[in-house]
Amino acid sequence: MSGGPLIVQSDKTLLLEIDHPDAQACRMAIAPFAELERSPEHVHTYRLTPLGLWNARAAGHDAEGVVDSLIKYSRYPVPHGLLVDVAETMDRYGRLQLANDPAHGLVLRALDRLVLIEVAKSKKLAGMLGAKLDDDTIAVHPSERGRLKQALLKLGWPAEDLAGYVDGEAHSIELAEDGKDGGKPWTLRSYQREAVEAFWAGGSGVVVLPCGAGKTLVGAAAMAEAKATTLILVTNTVAGRQWKRELIARTSLTEEEIGEYSGERKEIRPVTIATYQVLTSRKKGAFTHLDLFGARDWGLVVYDEVHLLPAPIFRFTADLQARRRLGLTATLVREDGREGDVFSLIGPKRYDAPWKDIESQGWIAPAQCTEVRVTLTDAERMSYATAEAEERYRMAATARTKLPVVKALVNRHPDEQVLVIGGYIDQLHQLGEYLDAPIVQGSTTNKERERLFDAFRSGEVRTLVISKVGNFSIDLPEAAVAIQVSGTFGSRQEEAQRLGRVLRPKADGRQAHFYTVVSRDTIDTEYAAHRQRFLAEQGYAYTIVDADDVLGPKLPTVD
Amino acid sequence: MTTSLADHLRSLPDESLAALLQLRPDLVVPVPADVSALATRAQSRVSVARALDALDQFTLLMLDAARLTRDAAEQTTSTDAVLAMATAGPHPPAPTTVRAAVNRLRALFVLYGPESALRVVAGVDEVSPYPAGLGRPAAELDARAAALCADPAKLRRTLLAAPPSARAILDRLAAGPPVGSVPAGALQAPALGAEDDLPPDPTNGGVPTGSPVRWLVDHHLLVPVSGGRAGVTGTVELPREVGLLLRRDSGPLGPLRSSPPPVATAPREPKAADSAGAGQTMEVVRHTEALLEQLAAEPAPVLRSGGLGVRDLRRLARAVGVDEPAAALLLEVAYAGGLIGEVDLSGATTTRHGADQQVLPTAGYEVWRAGTLAQRWEQLARAWLTMTRQAGLVGQRDDRDRPITVLSAEAERAGGPAARRAVLEVLADLEPATGPTPEEVLALLDWRAPRRSRGRETAHREVLAEAATLGVTGLGALTSYGRLLLADVTAADEHGDDPLGLRSDAESGEASTAVRALDALLPAPVDHFLVQADLTVVVPGPPDPALAAELEVVAEHESAGGASVHRVTPASVRRGLDAGYSADDLHALFRRRSRTPVPQGLTYLVDDVARKHGGLRVGSAGGYVRSDDEALLTEVLADRRLEPLALRRLAPTVLSTPYQVGRMLLALRDAGYAPVPEDASGAAVLARPKTRRAPARVPVTTRTLDPLTTPKLAMPRLLGVVEQIRRGDAAARAARRAPAVVRGGVGRTGPAPVPSHSDALAVLQQAVRDRALVWVGYVDAHGATASRLVRPVSIGAGYLRAEDDRTEMLHTFALHRITAAVLED
Repeated sequence: MSGGPLIVQSDKTLLLEIDHPDAQACRMAIAPFAELERSPEHVHTYRLTPLGLWNARAAGHDAEGVVDSLIKYSRYPVPHGLLVDVAETMDRYGRLQLANDPAHGLVLRALDRLVLIEVAKSKKLAGMLGAKLDDDTIAVHPSERGRLKQALLKLGWPAEDLAGYVDGEAHSIELAEDGKDGGKPWTLRSYQREAVEAFWAGGSGVVVLPCGAGKTLVGAAAMAEAKATTLILVTNTVAGRQWKRELIARTSLTEEEIGEYSGERKEIRPVTIATYQVLTSRKKGAFTHLDLFGARDWGLVVYDEVHLLPAPIFRFTADLQARRRLGLTATLVREDGREGDVFSLIGPKRYDAPWKDIESQGWIAPAQCTEVRVTLTDAERMSYATAEAEERYRMAATARTKLPVVKALVNRHPDEQVLVIGGYIDQLHQLGEYLDAPIVQGSTTNKERERLFDAFRSGEVRTLVISKVGNFSIDLPEAAVAIQVSGTFGSRQEEAQRLGRVLRPKADGRQAHFYTVVSRDTIDTEYAAHRQRFLAEQGYAYTIVDADDVLGPKLPTVD
Repeated sequence: MTTSLADHLRSLPDESLAALLQLRPDLVVPVPADVSALATRAQSRVSVARALDALDQFTLLMLDAARLTRDAAEQTTSTDAVLAMATAGPHPPAPTTVRAAVNRLRALFVLYGPESALRVVAGVDEVSPYPAGLGRPAAELDARAAALCADPAKLRRTLLAAPPSARAILDRLAAGPPVGSVPAGALQAPALGAEDDLPPDPTNGGVPTGSPVRWLVDHHLLVPVSGGRAGVTGTVELPREVGLLLRRDSGPLGPLRSSPPPVATAPREPKAADSAGAGQTMEVVRHTEALLEQLAAEPAPVLRSGGLGVRDLRRLARAVGVDEPAAALLLEVAYAGGLIGEVDLSGATTTRHGADQQVLPTAGYEVWRAGTLAQRWEQLARAWLTMTRQAGLVGQRDDRDRPITVLSAEAERAGGPAARRAVLEVLADLEPATGPTPEEVLALLDWRAPRRSRGRETAHREVLAEAATLGVTGLGALTSYGRLLLADVTAADEHGDDPLGLRSDAESGEASTAVRALDALLPAPVDHFLVQADLTVVVPGPPDPALAAELEVVAEHESAGGASVHRVTPASVRRGLDAGYSADDLHALFRRRSRTPVPQGLTYLVDDVARKHGGLRVGSAGGYVRSDDEALLTEVLADRRLEPLALRRLAPTVLSTPYQVGRMLLALRDAGYAPVPEDASGAAVLARPKTRRAPARVPVTTRTLDPLTTPKLAMPRLLGVVEQIRRGDAAARAARRAPAVVRGGVGRTGPAPVPSHSDALAVLQQAVRDRALVWVGYVDAHGATASRLVRPVSIGAGYLRAEDDRTEMLHTFALHRITAAVLED
């Protein structure tokens, strides 16, 4: 027994005790092959997955090294069966290779002939493989590259992709770190630099960073690395505009070089920003805007908020395997459980950092999470008790009792910019009237939205009530307090995104506050617990306070 | 005829005879009546086969050398002749090793007589017909082949002329065994004129050779032994002289190896192997416990044909998270270790399978569970080492193509313990922490006891896999504690003269050395955990039993292994409250056990659930009284005459009682109230007296049979009885006519000529074919000689099955007990 910091579990999770003196060294050793699953305060959980092990193989780590570091840091004897399993899993990678043959183009080549025979017979690969060139080689149509890789992964024989990436149409892009148009000089943060390097070394993949940690800059730096025409896919038009602003400010790109491809405008320029929505819009059952992918010889495709990638885009992405792809996200938790598809089509996770680590480095604001429990009135309880099952969450989440609590919370931070976030339009209107604050919702026009956001940014408007549209990619630099009143049931990633609204570092380094107001003893509390799970796993401990303490005459300090 | 084995044995001192009996214990079961009987037994095929089974490859080859060097007339050979043949090859073994091998054979009395005139006992030739993989001498096979072999120069020329494809066949047969089967018609000459139609032979430069076997037979290099003509599959044999000539490069006995084959794998660090094995032992114990818990939660029915159904095995395996072979192994081991057993069900058809037995954990399981990890593992590993089961058979199909199920009789293999012992001893003899490949282990086994390991390669591979699964081996090497356990079990076995179990470790209550060695490798139990904000509870090591019991109640299990992860959920807190913890108890529990501050979220969770806990109350009552008139109910409640009803007020308008409605009605009516019973929907129930009747039955007059009349016997039945008596009579008369040879009575007639055991076998085989009556003399279980007139039915698997016409019974005789057989004339 070495007394190391790591405990290897037989279900292939690794428990890392972070207070142990060797914890940091151990984290460095296991990070290449194990996926960080949870990082609460004392014990971080990593998981060994076939995908993670194969990625490690792809990055040049061998099974012997993995087994060695497991044994070296493990506190207890590691089961023989698990070691054998790790070695066998890693051995499966690379028995098949996707390569460019000078004569036949893209081919699937086998280092182990029996594996090729096995996969060639599989029904899942029907139609993806072309003619058999010799005993060890089968031709592959270039358009099937992504689907084939995906299918081989599912069969458990991941192919090593040696076919490389196309360079795309060259276009000069530089980071303007000296400051542009009189701006202040700046530099990439260390973790942003590491993320870009990890991505570029791997070719394609996903970078996971907390909201407010500057994912846009990672994208910009990747573009500067690629120096090629780039297609950027974003969730909505506002987010697209923001990307454009950021790119103009931080890179050598000018306004003329960046095009917007949205419902309003259809520009195709060396750098084009398109929304998921316009790409997935259909006319008579056909996707009309797919030509965009082929409109230019893109050298890089950037997917913003990749955890929201709609299913049709998955299919298109399968055709883009020869182009470099960068996915950006704060949480890879997908409520539809399709994380595996993101990995196989965009690429594996190339960079990930625990939120608390970045917070301790001062790159995101330290946040105080508070759950405020509201006791419903008897009348509300009675109507909740008799409501239909599907109505219950709405009843509990939109209880009127929450209004004074929200007002009290807003008043508690008189000098801060406050966002009030909700999921139900009726409730938002109530809140708007009650707090006398403007509302941004789905039906608000882009023009009006930008006006309100500008006003909020300038401090003209102190409190803003927003609906789900504000979940993603709106840049509200000085929001320091967010109050959540209702949401999309138990969505963990929504909670993380909403917290992200206040994580952007404050000029004076003060603390951010995230409040979630829930109705006690209702399904609202259960959903809240579920929503908080991801953040709790990231080490954010929620403090629970009673609404009466908030409303009461003496306000206790919550710091 | 020179001295027979019997004479030789008779001349030995007592100690030497005792030594022989110790080496070949099967000779004394049953105890032979005299030395002649002992000699007969020692030469019998079965006994010789047993003696040879334990010998290594080199010694067996030396025996073959002795057989090959026998001189034709005297049938004797000498140590020198054996030595000469053994050292004829290119890599001659040291003469001392050869002599040692010969002495081993002499000690076993497989070879006997003085060194200059060694004789081979008769049974050897029956046991293995082809010494050193060489065929019979040409003279015994075919005159023309003999003529060819008599002329070495011509033989050499013929060999060199053989086409490549034919030469390949020769080389294969020369390596042994020297007989091969040929397809039907291969030896037939092609039709006249069809010679040109033969396909070109690529191995012969495109020149058609026809069938290479036919070429060899035509040139007398191979001799057809049987069949080979149209429609019959035949066999051909390579004459000994040709085989020896072909082996001129490797020596007459083929490649010789006087020491076990070396292992290429270098030893690892002993700690690595031990550590991997120890990790695996934790897994095995945990999986076994999970499996048995699962079995306790949902017992598996025993199939009519024995064993557990495939579906149950799959369910158990899935629930525990192991694959089916591993689950089957653990179940078998748990059964062998007495941790699970069958229970009879009272109602025979209560389960959906209609089975009347279930498999459940036994009381022994509770004892096992209380032990330490190492003790629990030892119990499992010991059970595995000694169980006569082959778990690897589960899932395969038996002779009747039915799947073999776990715990069924079909997976019983008496050779199991010996096979495991053999494999592990191979590993134990290597340097510590050497992890040879399965192939190397099989090669070693093949060298150590070729006769025993041949055909058991699959079983041996399974043993290796099972040993790895159970953590007896780690990284392919025998672990230090596994070595101790093996030594312990072997020692216990050798103390076979301890029938009362006086030296048993289990009785003394002291941990065995293996347990102590394993204990040192396993993590020590911990009594604390870490609680985190995401409501997970991490126990950083194996929990001590008290902590495990607490966690089992208040948290859901999430991940197991060296440590364990649990999650506190509303449901688990509720379970804790149901189990009698109060909210304060739970807070105290988390505070006491946690090394880290208890997060606020957990405190709130416990309080929230506790607040709602018990908000609804459920109970049972025998009946109730309700009334809209609260005053009336108060009067009933206060009525002293109704005190025996133990009425309790549930609500202003409802009283409840533990007694049944009928009794309550009577009591209320007696007390002068006018209650009306109501049913579940609240409607009034009317009562009317019911007339009672006995159940319907058949009138007595329909039964006419008088039980006292004597039964009538029909004529055919009587004739049958007479015939039976007559037949018995004839057989009894015949029994008096048993020939002297068979009657044997060794004690009475003095040293009778000992007939060869193989003669008896020949007679019996003929009798089976002819369905003839035979007198069989045999030694019964008490060592007495008896004889019986029977009609043999079949011979096989070491047993003769025969009918006794007199008693019309089928008898089974062990062949090695049969001393003589004579045809009835």
